[in-house]
Amino acid sequence: MLKIENLHAEIDGKEILKGLSLEVNAGEVHAIMGPNGAGKSTLGYVLGGRPGYEVTAGSVTFAGKDLLDMEADERAAAGLFLGFQYPVEIPGISNVQFLREALNAQRKARGEGPVSGADFLKLARSQADLLGMNQEMLKRPVNVGFSGGEKKRNEMVQMGILGPKFAILDETDSGLDIDALKAVGEGINRIMRAPDKAVLLITHYQRLLDYVQPDKVHVLADGRIVKSGGPELAVDLEREGYAEVAA
Amino acid sequence: MSEVLDLPTTRQEGWRWADMATLEAAATSAPASPAIDPKTLFLDTLDGPRLTFIDGIFEPAHSRPGPVQVTAIGEATEHPLGRRAAGEGWLLSLDKGAAVPGIQIVHVGSGGENHVPARIELGEDATASVTETFAGSGWANRLTQIVLARGSRLMRSVRLLQTDGFVSIRDEATVAQAASLVSVFLGAGGMGSRIDGEIRLAGEGAYGEMGGALLTRGSQKQEAAVVLRHAEPDGTSRQVWRAVAADMSTASLAARAEVARDAQRTDGEQSLRGLLLNRSATVNLKPELEIFADDVKCAHGATVGELDERALFYLQSRGLPPARARALLTHAFVGDALDRIGEEAVREAFAADADTWLEEAL
Repeated sequence: MLKIENLHAEIDGKEILKGLSLEVNAGEVHAIMGPNGAGKSTLGYVLGGRPGYEVTAGSVTFAGKDLLDMEADERAAAGLFLGFQYPVEIPGISNVQFLREALNAQRKARGEGPVSGADFLKLARSQADLLGMNQEMLKRPVNVGFSGGEKKRNEMVQMGILGPKFAILDETDSGLDIDALKAVGEGINRIMRAPDKAVLLITHYQRLLDYVQPDKVHVLADGRIVKSGGPELAVDLEREGYAEVAA
Repeated sequence: MSEVLDLPTTRQEGWRWADMATLEAAATSAPASPAIDPKTLFLDTLDGPRLTFIDGIFEPAHSRPGPVQVTAIGEATEHPLGRRAAGEGWLLSLDKGAAVPGIQIVHVGSGGENHVPARIELGEDATASVTETFAGSGWANRLTQIVLARGSRLMRSVRLLQTDGFVSIRDEATVAQAASLVSVFLGAGGMGSRIDGEIRLAGEGAYGEMGGALLTRGSQKQEAAVVLRHAEPDGTSRQVWRAVAADMSTASLAARAEVARDAQRTDGEQSLRGLLLNRSATVNLKPELEIFADDVKCAHGATVGELDERALFYLQSRGLPPARARALLTHAFVGDALDRIGEEAVREAFAADADTWLEEAL
């Protein structure tokens, strides 16, 4: 589903990704772990299409198409979802308005008809319920005044509403207490565990992986995948540290 | 030309951002028959009195004035533009306790200059709401004098939608004890403008608000220059203005709040914010506070910036095309000012006008 080959990317002339290759097939969950500064978030932003992240070499193919050739909104319409490590607060735009517009923009780009206001509200409410998010928060401005945990739950509610094929979740577990971690983990399994979907979990710690079993674990260090393995690799990392395992 | 019209010049501090060249060009532009049907400028959802002025002349065919009188208005002002608006205009004079919601006044210009004076006098505890719409072209010049007796309330919403030319508004208001005046302006046309106002809170516990949004593009210049005077104790005032400037345009906001020595426990808020959609655009902000009382709360802020790149990417990453993401963020920015409009139908109409502007500008 997603194939990254020899990806090099830089920010402000500084090379962060230095030849990263990775392939994620439909039905799989992959975890990318690594120390601070390894390039984990950069990978998420490059795949999401954030301006300012320049790809200098390599290729990324998503569902048979050249991902790097698409704008961020086109990537979303193609089925890519980027869960932010730090979701942005947007005063003056309600969650409901934002997500309905986003969903209908994606549908329009795919040549599908718009979802009505009533149908959308039903969908949004059911997703909020499943994630344990207060219904009132749907009406509030996007992420404004939300706690760290509420912002991450809101990311998952958005993912549930938009229904992507492929989710890149950047440190979705950071800032979560144990209940929220469980809710988010269950949300990822419920929304994304399907034969035609796939997930790339970017994380610093093993704890989210207790709830979302990865099929493969990769260690990212200094802009490259330095080691890959099964779920047991995450346990080794937690026990021995990155320096030991990545060496 | 200034010599002939005897207009203020930009050498005067209070007029330094005024676009007098556009005003003069509009004043001397040749009248053409207006292609706008005034009916389309009224909000159907409001069924109050309606008045239409074509090139400053009352047009009975498109009007049902109800309690609003069309008559000579003889009040004097020293204001250099306002004093030109003399002769026949409109008068809303309400007795104690009367209520007239949903008044709409539409001004259509076809070129050249037109001047209309107006006067709103609300008796004790009377309430009214007036929405004015400017369309067409030419120089539309208005003087509106407002006298609110104790406990009365006026909601005033004004939208400037002329395609070109110039609109100058001069408001002079006196607000008595526990009375309330809320004025919201939207400049979303292609004309130049000057919104000029002076509100005096002349009774205890009076409430005065004057704010709005100016949206400029091309080489357009719009400005607001307003003064709020607290003369008595326990008054509250709000000046919430938003300026959005694209291309080579200029939007300017000068807002001043004055608190007299006796106006203790004044609660004032002044918020001036500008948004530049291009680096070539200009926003001028001039916040001023002059406080002589010692027990006063006056919050104030003035900032100019660009759209937040992080927020843009966040919206885009969820599937919104870049132009729509920019429009949503800009809409939200302007929303702070337009949300002050009390009537839902008017608020929605103004928001829709702002959206139309955004879709064209972005």
